[in-house]
Formats: sequence, structure tokens, C-alpha cells
Amino acid sequence: MTNGWADLQNAKVFLIEGSNAAENHVMSMRWIRKAQQKGAKIIHVDPRFNRTSSIADIYARIRPGADIAFLSAVINHVLSNRLYDEEYVKLHTNALFVANEAFGFDEGVFSGYDHEKHKYDQSSWGVQVDAAKKPVKAKSLDDPRCVFAKLKAHFARYTPEVAEQVSGVPARQVVEIAETFAKNRPGTILYALGMTQHTVGIQNIRCYGILQMLLGNIGVAGGGVNALRGEPNVQGACDMSVLNGYMFGYLNYPSHNEPTLKDWTRNNGTFRQKMTVNGLKAWFGENATPENDFGFGLLPKKSAKKDYSVYGMIDAAYAGTLKLLWVNGQNPMVTNPNLGYVHEALSKLDMLVVQELWDTETASFWQRPGSDPKAIQTEVLLLPGAYFMEKEGTISGSGRMVQWRYQAVKPPGQAKTDLEILDAVFRRVRKLYEGSTDPKDAPILKGTWGYAPGSLAEDVLKEISGRVLRDVTLPDGKVLKAGDYVGGIGQLQADGSTSSGVWIYAGIFGGGKNLSKRRDSADKSGIGFYKDFAWSWPGNMKILYNRASCDASGKPWPNAIPIVAWDETEKKWKGKDTPDVPDPLKGPDTPEGQRAFRMNAEGVGRLIAGPFKSYKAPADELPVDVSYVPKDGPIPEHYEPVESPVPNVLHPAQQNNPALKYPRVKAKQPIGTAKDFPYVLMTSSVSEHWCAGSTTRNVPWLNELVPEPMCELPEALAAKLTVKTGDRVKVSSARGAVTVKAVVTKRMQVMRIAGQDVPVVWMPYNWGFKGLSTGPSTNDLTIDAVDPGASTQETKACLVNVVRAEETVARR
Amino acid sequence: MNVSRRGWLKLAAGGTAGLALAELGLGPSEARAATKGLKLEGAKEFTTACNFCSCGCGMVAHVKDGQLVNLEGDPDHVINFGALCSKGAAMKATHDSPQRVRAPRYRAPGSDRWVEISWDEAYEKLAAKLKAVREATWTATEKDQDKDGKEVEYPVNRTDAIGLLGGAQHTNEECYVFNKMGRLFGTSFVEHQARL
Repeated sequence: MTNGWADLQNAKVFLIEGSNAAENHVMSMRWIRKAQQKGAKIIHVDPRFNRTSSIADIYARIRPGADIAFLSAVINHVLSNRLYDEEYVKLHTNALFVANEAFGFDEGVFSGYDHEKHKYDQSSWGVQVDAAKKPVKAKSLDDPRCVFAKLKAHFARYTPEVAEQVSGVPARQVVEIAETFAKNRPGTILYALGMTQHTVGIQNIRCYGILQMLLGNIGVAGGGVNALRGEPNVQGACDMSVLNGYMFGYLNYPSHNEPTLKDWTRNNGTFRQKMTVNGLKAWFGENATPENDFGFGLLPKKSAKKDYSVYGMIDAAYAGTLKLLWVNGQNPMVTNPNLGYVHEALSKLDMLVVQELWDTETASFWQRPGSDPKAIQTEVLLLPGAYFMEKEGTISGSGRMVQWRYQAVKPPGQAKTDLEILDAVFRRVRKLYEGSTDPKDAPILKGTWGYAPGSLAEDVLKEISGRVLRDVTLPDGKVLKAGDYVGGIGQLQADGSTSSGVWIYAGIFGGGKNLSKRRDSADKSGIGFYKDFAWSWPGNMKILYNRASCDASGKPWPNAIPIVAWDETEKKWKGKDTPDVPDPLKGPDTPEGQRAFRMNAEGVGRLIAGPFKSYKAPADELPVDVSYVPKDGPIPEHYEPVESPVPNVLHPAQQNNPALKYPRVKAKQPIGTAKDFPYVLMTSSVSEHWCAGSTTRNVPWLNELVPEPMCELPEALAAKLTVKTGDRVKVSSARGAVTVKAVVTKRMQVMRIAGQDVPVVWMPYNWGFKGLSTGPSTNDLTIDAVDPGASTQETKACLVNVVRAEETVARR
Repeated sequence: MNVSRRGWLKLAAGGTAGLALAELGLGPSEARAATKGLKLEGAKEFTTACNFCSCGCGMVAHVKDGQLVNLEGDPDHVINFGALCSKGAAMKATHDSPQRVRAPRYRAPGSDRWVEISWDEAYEKLAAKLKAVREATWTATEKDQDKDGKEVEYPVNRTDAIGLLGGAQHTNEECYVFNKMGRLFGTSFVEHQARL
């Protein structure tokens, strides 16, 4: 979340699309309802009418996978009716930058597309730069060369009628939503997996970024783009870089063609190089020196040509190259799509290790109904871990608040805390390599690993936060003593005199105090910041990009709730929130004082996202910052899901995301067509069961509330199939089939898309063959095509057929 | 009567609850809270946070004689102020559930059953396997062309045969250590359920 849970109370309008917040992030409603009581409007856009829809002022039914068509029409309405915040757009976005002359879009693809490799050369997506390597700026938004003009031209095709044709949201409702959202500010956007689990997931969210920047809703209280994340510490796991492509907190993991820190810096900039040095110092301590590139060579380099995502893992296991898989509190045999293929892949492993609370479908994959254990040669270890009340440590929720949990009780039986298990395994392996001089074993022997057994979690948190390793004199004269804990990101040094395992968490142990333990729940801000309760990253900041809540002179915009401002007397940025500026002492009259989006090399928000590097001096070899560019386009464009019942009406020759690679393994990844599978399936959780259900399906009273999986069918489809609620139906896709009970409901409808009837059905995905409540896994049906940039699977839209199950027919 | 729920629990647990009830003229719901207070008398309190979605709702665990006797919404927590959803409210049952795995288990190749083993055996098997896989699959260099089209042999020092998966269920400290260990072992297959 750019903002936080309690900040939701400050919004005047909510666009909730791709989230059933009322059922799946229940406590968000505590704050949304507060805003609603003060008159805020709630817009809910979803293929299924659920409990979030029922409290909304406007509910719009949308076809799964058609969000870009709908949102692009909203953006178009804002642009063509001048509903945008012109001052904000000119100051805080790249709207005025002059676009590259070669930039273009034709027949569904952007300039630079290689039709054979399904890949873009992104160079034409950037902006023109002057001799100082700074962007050339137009004088007005009407200049046809500027980014804003290109944006307008791109979205002009998305009329409300086109949106209706593609998404099923009625044209008049598209306009009503655009007007309601644009005219009530601040407005916030909430989304969850309904937006990301598509082959256009990143571009779905780009629509949100563009819309919110146009409306001046980023960086302000009550605004933002807020991801309601699916798991208790999915935010923290990402922050800790348990992701193949990152290290030390969202720093790009090096590839084979970046053998030195300098090579890496060329692609990532010197700002991030400093953070990497701090990470390397945390990992390799005394063994990280300026002479040895701070141990950069000790990091294994991934191949830039391979896919290391969870889907790459499954493919590698299936190919027989991945030998050992260690699964820690995850249950892919329920939650991954295309489960039949996952099962075959696991069966080819030499060893599977599952660290868990329960005996899950993954741990016992060899017992899967229909499979023969004798034919599966995989060794399996099941290691009993501890649940949250049985151990201590921090978690980071969606709002980036890092809070400490105390251990209340011991784990049951011989179960151990997960940190104990990880620590023990690492020490064992290190022992096996003791005395080795083989370079391949150096990282294991040279890595820092001395966490005290009695205070493992807090010891690790100290390493994450960071230490002063040699005395440091800061620019303001303040001296940091060796042995101190660093107080924040601003104190981190590029020369190895400080360390921080995860730079964005620098200072959580500032002053030697564990700030995640703070418990002051008084609302001193009056707007729900609770700054003295726990600690939020970065630097206890509550609203990211909050510099954008001010105008060029550093004063809060007239209608914004003041949260930060430039104080002319004290000559510093200050306010209720930690100012999101590169340097709190550099005012609006300096370039730093105008960088509201300081993590972008451009320093502003990017309406069109192209390559850009910033330099301290034009002659410098190494850039300071390098901007990320989405693989599949500089701006969003509607592409159909891989399995879709309709042609892409915008450009029939370019049906899907041009950067998509699917199938990856032809024999195991069939693509169904509407001829055999005429209905669209969307999947999600229910309030009472969570994710794989490994935990919730072992709680008897949750099983009483929702005892089994089901398929929700629109009434018109049920009538055609002669199915009644409670009948059993067989749902099949190109990948598998399951039989579940039917629920005939108005919540689902047959939609009218591109002139044809498209029935949409829904199933929860939380079941499997283990636990107290067993049932078929919906993910036997779903497709494992993934977003080209995020590798998120398209579990929100695939094609199925539904028929009455034979047993139902027999019973009658 | 304007007493915070937490204050009330302390008041009610004070030993003169019955008298206080009558004197303060409490309604049935407050009386129920008082009864609960008595039940928790002497229990130690630990603050924690729910482990389902990413709201991060605060919880208070009550422990008596090392046993978890109650787990409820934390009234002083800035996200949920005491409230919980149906899942969160059911959380206590997960700690002492008979379904929990209580000892390490091993399933041999081709076997149709689990066998309980000791931690020492489990660690031994895993550490030995990690080492064996590293030895058998190590890639020291990768050949590629540089930007001028010249053939280069880059040092990469990795294995693509070990995968680590998971973390969103765990603490930051566990995630950090899991990732660090994976990278030190030499793998880039380090992932979790970020997409679920």
C-alpha cells in the first residue's frame, strides 16, 4: 500500500476493483465504513456480486480479464473532459517531457516489437534528453510532442462504448464511475489478486498509477494505490527479497553478465550500489572489503536467460534439472494452477522438504488420489514448524507497518520454530564444508552467521536494520560510533563503514531499540497515522511519495490534508509524516526538493514508462538512478486472457499480450477454446477459508461454516443445464475436471460481450485431499500462463465447461 | 460507564468483581465480560498478530501454566481495535489441534507411508542432500557473448538444482535467513507465494 489501513478513513471515494475487501480483508471495512459514514462513495467493480458489492454505492459487473478496457475508458474520460489535476500533473509527472520521436503504437503492438522473439526493444519508449542528459520539456500540455499528448492519443480509442463492448460494464456506468471518482478527491484505489492474477497484471496496476497521478491522488492522505496483499507477511517476504530477482530489499539480483559491482551499477545506478554495499557488509562482514568488490563475487549469478520464478522451478523440476525443493509454509499442490502438471513435476524431484504445521497436499503429494506411491521415487521430509503464537519476530502487513509478535507458548510436541530449523540446517551444511578451499564453498564459509540461540529473531532484526562498523562523521557533523545501530537510510555509507541487510528497514533497531515493539495507540496526528505504534518502512513513513501533497513551493495543495511541508524558518521538510524527500534539508529551490518520486530516475511519476538513466554530471560513466521499464509496454493496452471466449475487438490480429510466452511446456500446457469450453471461470477465496486451506480446513468450526467447495452458476446457465442448487456438476477445462456442488445464484450472470453471451462462473480454490475437510482442488482446472514481468499466473480467467454430473442424473 | 475494555478486564479481575458489578449497575454484556475476566485471572498476556490476511490485526494471547487459554482481538491495536473476522476468531484452535505435525517425518522413495524420525536424522539427511546436489550440479562459469559479440566466459558460481519456496507465512527474520541461506548455498531459485 502507498498509504495504510487507518488512512482509508480520509478518502472521499473508493474504487475497489479486483478485491472483495469485505470478505477477504475484513478489517479494511472498519476504516472504509468510517469514511462512508462521512459521505465517501464506494465504487465496486467485480465479476461477482459479493459482500463488498452489497455495501457499494455503485456496483459494476465486469468480465474477468477486461479491466484495462474499462479503466482505459475511465482514464480517457478524465483526459478528454479535463478532469485531471493540471498543476499536479505538470509538476509531479513526466507529462511535459518530450517523447522519443520513434515512439508509436500500431495494430496492437508498441514500437520496437520483435514478432519472432515476442520481445520488445524498449529504446523508443523513452523521452528526449538534452546535452546535460536531462529530459527536454514542452511548455504546455497541448504540445503534440509531449508525453501527455501521446497518452491522450493512446487512450482516445477507449470510448465508453468500446469499454462496454469488451468488459460488459455499461457505457453510462463507465461515465458515472469516471465522474464520481474524478470529482471526489482524495480518492483511493484498493485492489488484490483480482487485478494481478492475469497475463496483463502489471499493466492492470499501471492503469491505477496513471489514473491516480492524473487526479493528483498519489502522496496524499486519503489517496494512493493500495494493494491488499494476500498473506500475513507477503509484504515482508518481498521486502526480505524471497523473490528470485531481488536482493537486500528490491535491488535487482545480479545476472551472469554482471560479474562485477561496477557492471551491476551500470544497470542499476550508484544510489542502489550504496545499498548493495550495505547488504554485502551485512552478509559477509569482514570478508567484504573495497578490494574484493565488497564480496560481490561471492553472490551466485543467475543466468539472464533462465526463468527462476516459481513457474521456472516447476518447469525445471519437470525437466529433471531441479533436484531438491525445500517448501517452507507453502502448499503449491493446492494453490498453483494446472495441478496435474505440478504433481508430475514434484514426482521427478530427488528430494522434497516440507516445513509445515500440517501434513499438507504438498507434503503428501505421493498420496494424491489416482497416483501410485510406488511409482514416485522422491524422498520426502516433513519438518514440523511453529505457528505464530509459538515464536517471536516481526511481520509487515499491507500498510508496511512492521510489528513485533511475542512468543506466548511453546510449539507442540517436538515442533521447532522455523528460525531454529533454518539456523540448524545452515550450521550443519557449513560444518560439512569446514576446511574447504574450493571457491564454490567460499560463500558458505565466509557468510556472517552468528545469531545467538536465545535471541535468534532479534539478532536477525539487528542485522536487517544495520550497524555502524567504523566511526562515521555525517555531513551535519554528527558522529556515528562503531558498534552503534544505524538510525535510518540517510546514515548508510557507500564505503563499507555501515551495514544494513535490508536498507528499506534501516533504523528499525535505531538507537539500539526494537521499534517494532512500540505500543502507543494514541492518534496524535488526528488522521490515523499512529506514528508511535510499531514502525513502518521506510523511516516510519505512513504515506509514500508524500512530497507530492505539496506544490512547487513546498506548501500543501489547497484542498489536501497537510501532512508534510517545507518550513522556511527552520529550513527543513517537516510535518505529521516523515517527509518523502531525498534530503530533508534540501528545499524546493533545489532539484532534490522537487523529486516527489525520488525512486524514479526522472524524479517524477511516469505516465509513459520508458528507459531513463539519471547522471550527476553528464560525462559520468555510471548513472545515479535507472528507471524500471515494464517488459510488455510503456502504457497499458487491452489484451485478452490466454483463454478467452471472444476476439480482441481492438486489434483481432493481436489477441494476447505480445510479450507472453505460453505454452512453455507444450505437452503439459494445453490451451482450451470456447468451442469445447464455453464458460469463463474465475476463482477466489471465501471469508472462512484461506489460501490452500491448510490451516482453515483443520479448524472444525470453519469447516462447519463452509464445508466444501462449490461452483456458482448464473440462473440462465443453470436453467440451460437443468441444474439446481445442491446438484453436482462436473467442471472441466483443457487441463482437468472436478465435480462439486452447484450454487445457482444472481451473484453470477451471463454477460453480453462483443455481441455474444458469455456466462461467467465462480469457484473457491481452497480445497484439497488432506485435512479435516477434503474436496477437489479448483486449480486442477486453472491455467499456468503468467504475466511476462511479474510471473503471476492467470488464475482469474480461464475457460471451462460445466455439465450435470452423472451421479446427479443417476440419483433422479 | 466509560471504562476501556482492557481497563474493565483489570477492574473485573480485581477480586471484588461481584460487588463492583452491582455497584456500577452493569448490563448483561458487561457482566459477561466480567465473567471472562475471572476466567483469565492470573493469565499472562502476550501481544501478537493474526496470521491469515495482510491486515495484521493485533491479538492478545492469554497463557496460564504454559497453556494457551484464550486468544482474542487486541483492543489497543491500531488496525483492528479488538475486532477479528471469522477466521481470526477461530485461530486458537490451531495451536493445540490434533492435526498438527508434532515430530519430523520421512517418506522413503516408493513408500506409501510416513515414518517418524528424529530431528538429528532429519537434519543429517537434508544437509547431506544439499551438499550432494551442490557437488553434482555446480556451474562455475557461463559462456555468452558480450555486447560487442565477443565470446566471454563469466564466473557465475551457482547451482540451478536447489529450490527454496515459501515465506509469506513466516516472520521477516525467517524470510531474511531463508533467502540468505539459499543464496549462500548458490541457488537463485528463491521464491515465495507472492503471487497468491
